[in-house]
Order: sequence, then C-alpha cells, then structure tokens
Amino acid sequence: MLTAEVIQELSAVVGAKHVMDSAEDLIIYSNDATMFHSRPEAVVQPGNRDEVVQIVKIAGRHNLPVTCRGAGTCLSGGPIPLKGGIVLEMTRMNRILKVDAVNKVAVVEPGVITFSLASAANQVGLLYPPDPSSMKESTLGGNISECAGGPKGVKYGITRNFVLGVEAVLADGTIVKTGNEVDGDMAGPDWTMLFTGSEGTLGVIVSITLRLVPIPPVKKTLMAVYDRLEDAAKTVSVTMASGIIPTTLEIMDNLSIVSVENYLKIGLPVQAGGLLLIEVDGVQSTVEEDADHVSEICKKCGASEVKMAQNAAEAEELWLARRSINPAFGQVAPCKFAEDATVPRSLVPVLVGRVLEVQKKYDVPIFICGHAGDGNMHPTIMFDKRNKDQKERAEKALHDVHIITLELGGTLSGEHGIGFAKAPYLRAETGEIGYKLGQEIKRSVDPHGLLNPGKIFFYEGVLH
Amino acid sequence: MNNQGRRRFIEQEIVKCSRCGTCRSICPVFLAENNENTTARSKNRLMEAVLEDDIELTPGVQKRFEKCLLCKACKAHCGSGVATDKVIMEGRAAAVERNGLSPMKKLAFTGLRYRKLFDLGLRTGALFQSLIFKKLPEGRGRVPRILLPGAGLNQRRIIPDMTANPLRVRLPKFIKARTAAGKGRVLFFTGCMLNYMYPESGEAVVGILTENGWDVVIPEKQCCCGTPAFTSGDVETGRFLAEQNIKAIRAEDYDHIVTACASCGAALKYEYEHVLGDSPLLKTWQGISTHVFDISQFVLRHCDLTKLGNLPIRVTYHDPCHLVRGMNVSAEPREILKAIPGLEFMEMKDASRCCGAGGSFSAVYYELSRKINDKKLDNIEDTGMDYLVTGCSSCRMHITDGLTQRKSAVEVLHTAEVIQMAYEAGRKEGKHVNS
Repeated sequence: MLTAEVIQELSAVVGAKHVMDSAEDLIIYSNDATMFHSRPEAVVQPGNRDEVVQIVKIAGRHNLPVTCRGAGTCLSGGPIPLKGGIVLEMTRMNRILKVDAVNKVAVVEPGVITFSLASAANQVGLLYPPDPSSMKESTLGGNISECAGGPKGVKYGITRNFVLGVEAVLADGTIVKTGNEVDGDMAGPDWTMLFTGSEGTLGVIVSITLRLVPIPPVKKTLMAVYDRLEDAAKTVSVTMASGIIPTTLEIMDNLSIVSVENYLKIGLPVQAGGLLLIEVDGVQSTVEEDADHVSEICKKCGASEVKMAQNAAEAEELWLARRSINPAFGQVAPCKFAEDATVPRSLVPVLVGRVLEVQKKYDVPIFICGHAGDGNMHPTIMFDKRNKDQKERAEKALHDVHIITLELGGTLSGEHGIGFAKAPYLRAETGEIGYKLGQEIKRSVDPHGLLNPGKIFFYEGVLH
Repeated sequence: MNNQGRRRFIEQEIVKCSRCGTCRSICPVFLAENNENTTARSKNRLMEAVLEDDIELTPGVQKRFEKCLLCKACKAHCGSGVATDKVIMEGRAAAVERNGLSPMKKLAFTGLRYRKLFDLGLRTGALFQSLIFKKLPEGRGRVPRILLPGAGLNQRRIIPDMTANPLRVRLPKFIKARTAAGKGRVLFFTGCMLNYMYPESGEAVVGILTENGWDVVIPEKQCCCGTPAFTSGDVETGRFLAEQNIKAIRAEDYDHIVTACASCGAALKYEYEHVLGDSPLLKTWQGISTHVFDISQFVLRHCDLTKLGNLPIRVTYHDPCHLVRGMNVSAEPREILKAIPGLEFMEMKDASRCCGAGGSFSAVYYELSRKINDKKLDNIEDTGMDYLVTGCSSCRMHITDGLTQRKSAVEVLHTAEVIQMAYEAGRKEGKHVNS
C-alpha cells in the first residue's frame, strides 16, 4: 500500500507538483498504446538521476513496484503498472547532453523525444537511423527499453545497433554504467545489450550513449505494384539475396491499399494484390545502379509496374500511401492488435501466405504491411472490442499468428517488445532453459522483483 | 441529440482512440505543460472510465476536460480521426449538468441570453471602463487597474478598448452597394468581438462588400453565436442562442452570409449541427449553413482582386484554429495577401498552431495561455515582418496582449482591414470597381 507518508517522502524528493495520486491521474497513467490497463498508486516525475536514486530507495523501503514510462506509446504493455506501485514518468529528463560530430556519438537523457535527437544530429550532418512510426512522440528511453525499430531497419538495424552505453539505477539504488563512447568495445559480455530491450525490468535508464552515422548524400524511392501479394514478398527475399541492401523495404497488401485509397483518393492501384515501397541510399553512382537493379528484380518477380520518384516531391507522394496506413485502419474497424511478428527474410512469403489463411479461418480482417526487408511484418488484426464474438475471433487469430511466427523460426517481437501482451508465448521462443536463465538474470539484479514486475520472464498467466 | 444519442456518439469516438500518443506531439497545452493528463488520449481515456462507471464525473475530471483550447489539432492529426473536441464538449456538458457552471460563467452566459440587456451592459461598461482600466499609449488597449477576480483579468492582461459606439450602432441595418450594378445581398453576421471591440474590422468587411457591388444587411436581432456557452458545456444557452440566430437570419433576404470571426463562422457553418441536436430548427439551419462564408473565402470567390491597390507593408499570417480547422480556411487569406501589389508576405513557423487564446480558456488559465502564446510570438517575431494578419478577433486580442507586454513593434490587423486598405489604395490609383 502506498500511504500518505510515502507520498510525502516522494514529494520531498521531486516536489509535490511532480507526484500525482488522484484517481483521475491514476486512470490516465494506467495504460499505454495497447488496450490493457492497470492502475498505479502514484505517478512520480523525476527531474534528474539523483532523484531517481532516491525514489527507487523509497520504493524499496516500502516494497513498492516501480514501473518506468516514457511517452506511453508502447504496443506490448511495457509501461503498464501490473502490480500497482509507482509509475516513474521519465519525460522531464529530456536534455540532449552532447552531440559529438567528430566521434559520431550523442549522449541523451531518457526523456528526449526521438525526433528531437534525429533533428539535432541532422544539424551537424549526422543521422540517427532508428525511426519508429511514433518517433515524434516516443522517448529514446522507451525506444531503448523496448528496442524499437522502424522502416530504416533493413539497412541500418534497429535501436539495439545504436546503443553504445547506458547509465542505469538498479533496484537497490546503486548506479551502473555500461559501455562507453567507443564503437569497438570488447571488454567482456555486452552489458549494454542486456539493458537494451529489458523494458525497465533490470534498471532505470537515466542516461544513454548513442552511435550516429553520416547522412547518406542521396536516396532514391521506388514503388512496385503486384497482382499477387506473394510476389511482392518474394521480391523481398530475392532483393536481399542479390547483395543489395535497401534502406527501406515496406510491404502493403490489398486491404491496406484499398483502405488507404478510400481514405486519401490518390489513385492507388486498388486491384493490386500488394505493393512494395523501396528506398536505397548512399552515394550517387551506387544509388542509381542499385535502384535500377532493384527495379529489374521487381519486374522479374512479377511486378506489373515500377514507379521511380524523380525528385523529393515525387518520393514524398510514394511515401504518403505507407504513412497513411494507420489512419486508414480506422476505416475498417475501430480497434486493432498491431503486431510485429518477425521472421527470417527468406520466409516472408511463407508468413504472408499463412497469415492470409488465418484471415480466412477466423473471418477477421488482417492488414499485412510492415518492414518486410528485415522480416519485421505487421499483421494488424482489426475488430470492434464492443463486439464480443468479433473480439474473440481476433484473439484466436492473434494466437495463431504468434504460433506461426515461432514455427517459422521467427521472433514474437521485432520492435514492440514483450511486455506482458506477448509474454505468454515467450517460453515457446526461448525454450525452458532460456526462460529460466532469463529469470535468474533478473533475480540477480533485482532480487525482490521491484522493477516492472509481472513482465517478460515473470508473467504470471498461462505459458505456452 | 438526446442523452442516449449523445452517449452512443461518445462511445463511437472513444472506441477509435488507440492511445497511440500522436496527440502528444501537437497538443499546444501538452507541449506547454508536459503532463499526460492534458493530452487528447487521456481525455478520451477518462471519458471511457466515466462511461464504464470506473470513476464519477468528479470536479477533477471536469477540470481536466476544461484544460483544452478546443483548437482541434488533435483531431486533425489523429490517425483514427477521433473527434476529441466533440468528446470534450460532451464531457463538459455532462459535467455542467452534474456539477453546475462556475458562478462567473453562469452570470456571463445568462447575460448572453438577453440580447438587449447584454448590449446595454457592454455599452454602459464601455463608458465606465476608464474607471477600471488604464489606457495604454497609441490606442493599444487597456490594462486593468484593479484585479477582477475570476475574469482572468490580472494586472498585466491587455484588452482592447470597448467601444461605446458599437458596429451595429454605427452602421444602418441595410447598406447599399457603392456601385449601381448591385450583385446581390450579403448578410453580415458581425458577432460580439467585431461589434463591441473591433468595429473597424467590421466596417472594413462592409467596405469590401459594398465596394464590390454587394448590398449588405446586418440583422438587428442577431446575438452572440453561442460558442463561449456551448464550448463551456452550457448546452442549453448554446442552443438558445443558435436558435435565436437562425430565426434572425431566416427573417432576412440574402444571397450569401459572411462572417469575419473564425468562431462565429465555424459555429454557423458546422458546430450548430451538434449544438442544435434534435431542435426543430435543425432543417432551417441546414439551409442556412451552406450559404456561410468567411470574408476571405467570399473575397476570393466573389470580389475583384484586380482592383487591389499598392500596399507596401510587410506581413505574416496566423491561422486561427476555428478558421483553419473549424472552417477549412487557410489558403484563401494567403492567396489574397499575395495578390495585393507591394505587400511582402512571409510565412511563419507553425502558422496553424493555436495562439493559446481559446476563448474563456485564457481567462481561466491566463498564465498557461500566455506560455502557449509566447511560442507564437517568437515565430511571429522571427519572420521580421511588421504586421501580423489574422482572421479572428480573439486571437488578435491575445496576440496583441502578448506583443504589447513584450514591447514588440509588430502590429496586428484583421485580414479584412488589410484587404480594405488595399481597396482604398486601389481607389486612389483610380482602379475603381465597376467604373
């Protein structure tokens, strides 16, 4: 129980203004971007590292869970305080501490909005590639905790590939620094990676060191239209096998195309079974060559049409369709399970085929879109949660999608994290021993299960 | 809409909210406060909790619904198109039903219902205002001399001179076109701000219309459009005023209806649908709404831009929320400004972001609305232009307040005033309309 005494202690640390415990605020902070919710007992907004230390110590003394939260854009329930206690909202810690153009490194606090860092890097001619769709809202702390991805993941990798080091407050209030500002750090196991994607279960990240890369001078954008979605999927694996690594390889199925067209009326090919949005970047000569080569591959794989943008405005037009998928979802049904089932890229066509079967089996609309280039597909299951039967069918379809993904040797999450939404399936991915090892690691750094309890390896429901 | 209809409508909207958080990057209140409880998704979430009986409609919930400028930016950027503005208005209405209005608003809205009394009150107020307000140099407006509790008029806030001689007193009910070849008749819905605070803008509107061959009729029985009332949750007053205005408009003979106030225009053209609910006047309104144009729309469609004379001023433009998102008007004023010879136009950053006025919002949360306004002022000043042009008197008042406090040299003009100035210049150049 979080008593008035605890509220007082917390207020003494951060100021009364930054401690919230009214019913209204607890409801507001009970959820993220999933449909689940669970109320905390208080919300605390620390302003710096030392305040975090003190809050964690107070929580420890009173045996209160601490669940970190950035902008709450998570799609797996990560920042939902399953066991109540304190929600630690990190958004006040939003300073960009350093952008070092020479060493291509940035140091930030966890509450920095991803887009702010991308802009700051851009100003000195550098690129921070991870670009989740939520980048204008989501925080870097959240991105690191959930290991976010984005359309540029094909070429550059996901958030994980850019974290050089973190500073984290452990459950007992001590501070650990992992990694450094050197790219080639090989001093033992990669502790930094342990914290990346740990969803606030191992420590509260208070500072992050990130790798930046030079901005590629040119890019070229193409759109390939297919009669059959399977051919679009095949293009993905053939392209990747050809040695060319595009920056972006986004796939859209017929349902996505039709919905976007209904929404925007921009003349998309509504008859098409699927389309690919492809971008290549680099230096002028290779980009031209790669774009031509990719175009040929598309045609060979059965594309009925390949459009190549001649300038930035045309490229923006091609992107518009992809960016509008989300609003278009709403035209089909009000609620969705936004999944990030990820398989080895060569199996993208197989996954697509099997998801189409699931769609038929349960008679629920499933949008197939996503970052096909790195195998990170976003089968999005649509329903209306007010319709009980529909919701049940959607849940069954979701279950099947998880199982299929694992059968294909894929992963439950390409970028949204496990949280507790996908935790029931985690053991099926890690195996019995891997799952136990995960628990052991958590226990060794957080023996009392103070940080974000009930998540990832400590899910208390039925395991598959 | 009856209670059940209202409930269904709200449910329909909030079930679409996926809580994705896009509203965090565009809500001016959130950007100023950095608190989740100011976002659109949180208000939808609270409303959901209220409907599920998870929480009562407490004053705490009511307060959170109040903290919204109704700028509609969340709706415009929402991936699922959730009409959070309407959800909030419904939330406010339900809260008013349960907890009542604040005494200050109750008094003010009751006053609005009595057209003649309201008129008398404001005109008498104008005569005595120098007792309460200190006049600023160069006709910039007034600063309250004493603290008026609850009116948000602290010692710093600058409001324009209220005129003892309002627009509708200055002008006859019917004004003939300047040219013989009358094109038709335009009904001018003046609204309160133009009538009592900025009559010069209203005179400019009439000048533009008559210059272009339109007869103008200003219905005597028009009253406040109701926006302050219905956006505050006083549905009853809102509907009462809407019905009064519909009757006043219906009684006249007109070809088009012109507004020069963003909120009046949005109310007359769109918002009344929601406000009227199941009113028997809904059908009449539907007939009226299609004739409503903002002055900038009207000028572009029905006036002669070739007669605009040389006006060598340097301007930037601020999009009032109720114009850009309320009436879908943003290209028109820009096109006209760019058509004025000699006028230098420069776009500011985030021209369509709310200035923080939000009607009574700025009265209740003055400091917060100033903070939001500061961003706007920075963007205005960064353009280096001499004038800010806008089509909303409420924005004008709020921005002028901020500029004056900053001792900025930038001056604010209504779009209609700039157009009128250019027509005046045109007349001097001999570009007489229809001559």
